[in-house]
Amino acid sequence: MPFTEPRVGATPGRPYDVRIMNALVLDGSRGTECRDALAALQQALADAGHLAEVIPLRERTIAPCRGCFGCWIKTPGECVIDDDGRAVARSIARCDVLVYLTPVTFGGVSSELKKALDRMIPNLSPFFARVCGETHHQRRYRKTPRWIGLGVLSQPDCEAERVFKTLVERNALNLQSERVAAAVVTPASDLAATTAALVKAVAE
Amino acid sequence: MTQRKALLLVGSPRGIGHSTSDRLGSVVLDALKGRSFDTEKLHVHAVMDSPAAFESALAAIGACDTVILSLPLYVDSFPAPVIALLERIAERRVGAGRVRFSLVIQCGFPEAKHNATALAIAERFASEVGWEWLGGAALGGTGGFAKDVGAVLAPVGEAIADGKTVPEVASSVPFPAWLYRFVGNVMWRRQAKKQGATRSLRARPYEG
Repeated sequence: MPFTEPRVGATPGRPYDVRIMNALVLDGSRGTECRDALAALQQALADAGHLAEVIPLRERTIAPCRGCFGCWIKTPGECVIDDDGRAVARSIARCDVLVYLTPVTFGGVSSELKKALDRMIPNLSPFFARVCGETHHQRRYRKTPRWIGLGVLSQPDCEAERVFKTLVERNALNLQSERVAAAVVTPASDLAATTAALVKAVAE
Repeated sequence: MTQRKALLLVGSPRGIGHSTSDRLGSVVLDALKGRSFDTEKLHVHAVMDSPAAFESALAAIGACDTVILSLPLYVDSFPAPVIALLERIAERRVGAGRVRFSLVIQCGFPEAKHNATALAIAERFASEVGWEWLGGAALGGTGGFAKDVGAVLAPVGEAIADGKTVPEVASSVPFPAWLYRFVGNVMWRRQAKKQGATRSLRARPYEG
């Protein structure tokens, strides 16, 4: 068997071709409802050798988007509001994997997560393009993150889960992400297995 | 006979009197006014900005029998302050078992189908809080290209007044999407010139 040098980024006990990725976890919980899911997610990312930055959005000052389009036509690429929303948008632009963690809220994401997502539009270009047969905005950055959506429900709800997964896919399409995976967990779920499967799905 | 009350929640950051959401929602509200509804408008962002306005808004929602939410599509869903308000309505179950609910939503893309997920979220909200979901109207092209917005949206108001399900409205722009994209891209450049953009429209300030 030929000797191969470990690549930079290989971790002990992991195959050499596993690439270390920088994951950004946007924690949209309003209280402690996502605590166990977050712990499992962090473990799954660490087990796969990835680095993770977690932003607890409820602790950040992020004003609502004003809908002024200043981030497209006045200061292109940067929101005109100078608060934590800019830092979150910067982290999103630089990460390899973007993870939504949120209580599933009417099938969508929580207001805590949404306040950050609304301020993500500077990361898109104002110019339109045809993507998958419909109109979207062009990407601003050459790199676009892979996408994980992890929703938390207090009890199983098939319809809420369906809407949530569709929403994550639509959001990923907006940024023309090449890989997306989404899951919804309840207190009865195997968190370790679910989060490991999500990480694997976008890493491969 | 008790006077019926309808409340328009305007979910655009630009507010009442300055937004497309107000203009479109008002078409529906005016149809209800013509059918003897008492009507009122509230701006969601202003409501969520002040504890006093918030409590007053919850009282207004609790006192009405019809709520129309009119808003722009933000990232395939509602603007964050709208979700925050709906979360609090659900926590307190305001109007549960009584309020009838409809949505008027418009997006900046030519295709109205972008609004489908937001409509599904509105329906889920109604189901979870115990409101009656009447259906909604979805418009593409920021709702500015429908030949006659009144003709498109007035039937929505009529259906609500009659206690019926809202007729399905999905109004895309009445010309090819490629033309919308082409003209839109020209307009962005013009607006940037007018605004004195500080850098190229394709700048990548966060590239690591």
